[in-house]
Amino acid sequence: MNGIYLSRLPLSAKVFCTLFLVGIGCGALAAFTQASTAVGISPSAVQESLAPDLPMAGMRHGEMSGEQEIDLGQLSREAKVWMRTPLLIQTSHTHLFGQTLIAGLLGLIFLFVPLREGPKALIVSLPFVGTLIDIGGMWATRFVSPSLSILVITGGTLFALGYVLIAAFSMHDLWLRKEAT
Amino acid sequence: MTRRLVLLICALAAAPVLAHITPPVLLVSDRDAVANLLAGSKRYFVREVRLTPAERQAIQKETGWSPEEDFYRFYIGRDDQQHDVGAVTFLTEYTIHGPVRVAVALAPDGTVKAAAVAEVSEETYPWVKSLIDRGFLASFAGRGAHASFASADGSSMPRFYGRIIGSLVQRAALLYEAGVLKRDHP
Repeated sequence: MNGIYLSRLPLSAKVFCTLFLVGIGCGALAAFTQASTAVGISPSAVQESLAPDLPMAGMRHGEMSGEQEIDLGQLSREAKVWMRTPLLIQTSHTHLFGQTLIAGLLGLIFLFVPLREGPKALIVSLPFVGTLIDIGGMWATRFVSPSLSILVITGGTLFALGYVLIAAFSMHDLWLRKEAT
Repeated sequence: MTRRLVLLICALAAAPVLAHITPPVLLVSDRDAVANLLAGSKRYFVREVRLTPAERQAIQKETGWSPEEDFYRFYIGRDDQQHDVGAVTFLTEYTIHGPVRVAVALAPDGTVKAAAVAEVSEETYPWVKSLIDRGFLASFAGRGAHASFASADGSSMPRFYGRIIGSLVQRAALLYEAGVLKRDHP
């Protein structure tokens, strides 16, 4: 960009960019581990955490009460913290700021990779779009339809894909590109 | 070399980024809480109630808390003669440090039989544990929905969570009174 490329940066700047990319990669790994232990990484797991609780007693819309015999085996032995609306608001605001900031810094590094504008624009937008789909998908799962939990997975995957592409191109340009003399 | 680098990064980050909830600390599962708090029951029933606007308003007027869920669920235990042993409900408060989920057992007359903290966030756990360790939850036994649910003593964070837990226990008693007792015995 304007003649400034990652491959031409001084050593200190290359080390800075490299460590930032590695740090974000480790963060993504930790986030993945946390997601798989706290929520689960399948659409059904997301749905279970976000979708509204459904009646067990066969109570229909408009009915004021219902009762049904159950077996204790029907009750969960696992943690049952749902993401209700207050937690969704809290999560949305912290993650929209946090992930957008990460996407911005990743994009800033990636802007100095020599690549055609079309693919570059596409790749740089992936973490931003992924974040919006991810957080938007949570709201959609809660308030529109539980089946939209797939959006949360799609958004997270787009964010991860964007990171992988940005990190790969940037690392290549930082350390492997040979400058023409 | 380039290919290896790309493969390594793909392997590290190919998974979806979905880390939005602090992992909960499970102190007692729903199943174990219902079984323990309704000890002596032979059969179990789930009763779900939707509050009327008047019932919601009455609870809000008394406590300042507005019940906003679509419905509330009670697990009811009965003995061999079909007499109620008690009811258990689970309520959650979302604090800035994460959710606190409490199981409250109510006697057939609506007084609190027992309460247990079911889940907390990792951050909240040390504060709540200090309350559990000194038997704070046992102090609610025998209180009615309109009794005082005064907060715990101690340093500021346990006191704060004591207030939260006390409030959840009282909400459970109020919900049972409005949604079950007053409807069954108007």
